[in-house]
Amino acid sequence: MDAHDLTAAYALDALAPDEAEAYERHLSQCEECREQLAELNETATALAFATVAPAPPARLRASILDAAAAERTNVVPSRRRRWVTRGLAVAAAAVACIVVGLAVSLSQSSHPQPISASLVLGPNRTGSLHISGLSAAPHGKTYEAWVIPAGHSPRPAGLFPGGASTIVHLRGTVPPKSVVAVTLERAGGVKAPTTTPIFSAPT
Amino acid sequence: MNRQLAHLSDEALVALAARSEQSALAELYDRYGRTAYGLAFRVLRDQALAEDAVQEAFLTVWRTASRFMPERGKASTWILTLVHRRAVDTVRREQRRRADSLELADEPAVEGVEEDAFLHLQRERVQAALRHLPDAQREALELAYYGGFSQSELAERLGQPLGTIKSRMFGGLSRMRELLGEPGTETSWTPTT
Repeated sequence: MDAHDLTAAYALDALAPDEAEAYERHLSQCEECREQLAELNETATALAFATVAPAPPARLRASILDAAAAERTNVVPSRRRRWVTRGLAVAAAAVACIVVGLAVSLSQSSHPQPISASLVLGPNRTGSLHISGLSAAPHGKTYEAWVIPAGHSPRPAGLFPGGASTIVHLRGTVPPKSVVAVTLERAGGVKAPTTTPIFSAPT
Repeated sequence: MNRQLAHLSDEALVALAARSEQSALAELYDRYGRTAYGLAFRVLRDQALAEDAVQEAFLTVWRTASRFMPERGKASTWILTLVHRRAVDTVRREQRRRADSLELADEPAVEGVEEDAFLHLQRERVQAALRHLPDAQREALELAYYGGFSQSELAERLGQPLGTIKSRMFGGLSRMRELLGEPGTETSWTPTT
């Protein structure tokens, strides 16, 4: 079998399993086929856009997101409210920013649904918090973000109302080794946190 | 619907998904869920099986986002390839449905379907390219991609040597690639000034 001429069939998923395996082995050693496959695969995928079908049911989106949340969660439920000091490994992402997974500590009674939060650090140490699952702040209250540089007191970094999904652009910069936290405060915000953080993480 | 990530590229969304950012997965679904479902439905002709295929494909995106390599191809190609592979695996297991997909190889009429302008244009463009292919090439592509038939099954079904099927698939995809990359086909936009 000459594996070279299997590229189009592979791009169309038209190989039997044993043929596909043999082609993949060949692919690992043939730069020419890898390049050709990338092209033909893109063209084959264009066929996906030619189909006419009913829209997917709305439950499919929810079902996928629920399953994803259940499968790989960055939410760490805790019995007591406390500062959480566990952060996930820092990695450079393809968008020239750094995303830090935040471990989230929350009272289960006040937040029945899981909260997930990530901190995205830009190239100039600017930061934004991407939060989902945090319920809207009660009337007369607001969420307040804090940046806490190592050895310094918390610096107010912005107010936000919460809700299903929120992106908070943090005011100022996020110095290395600082901690980012969110508390619930009275409307209008405060200059220093008065409540236990809902979540926090070292950067 | 949260579209706060709407300004990010598909590839940036995959990078965020790799860091467990659920809203990035949601945004990818909002961009490609409809096309993914349309594809899975076309191959499987069954709503529940199509939903399963789309769900499994997006969960594979979620699980393996950190291994996605942008230099190897577009994120949308990767996602839709996962959907297609899953749908084809399923249709090959469910032998009974195979005959149906052949008989129903013509596009079903779907009335009153709302969709955005981009998807509509994209569909017109690909359908126009398909119409430009020689019949034998179009038949090979459609039976393989939408019908889930392997090249050997196609050779048997069409009564042609395997080599002929291979060259129809290769010729069809190459010609499609030219047509899609080529300005001036029927539905493309041409400046008037």
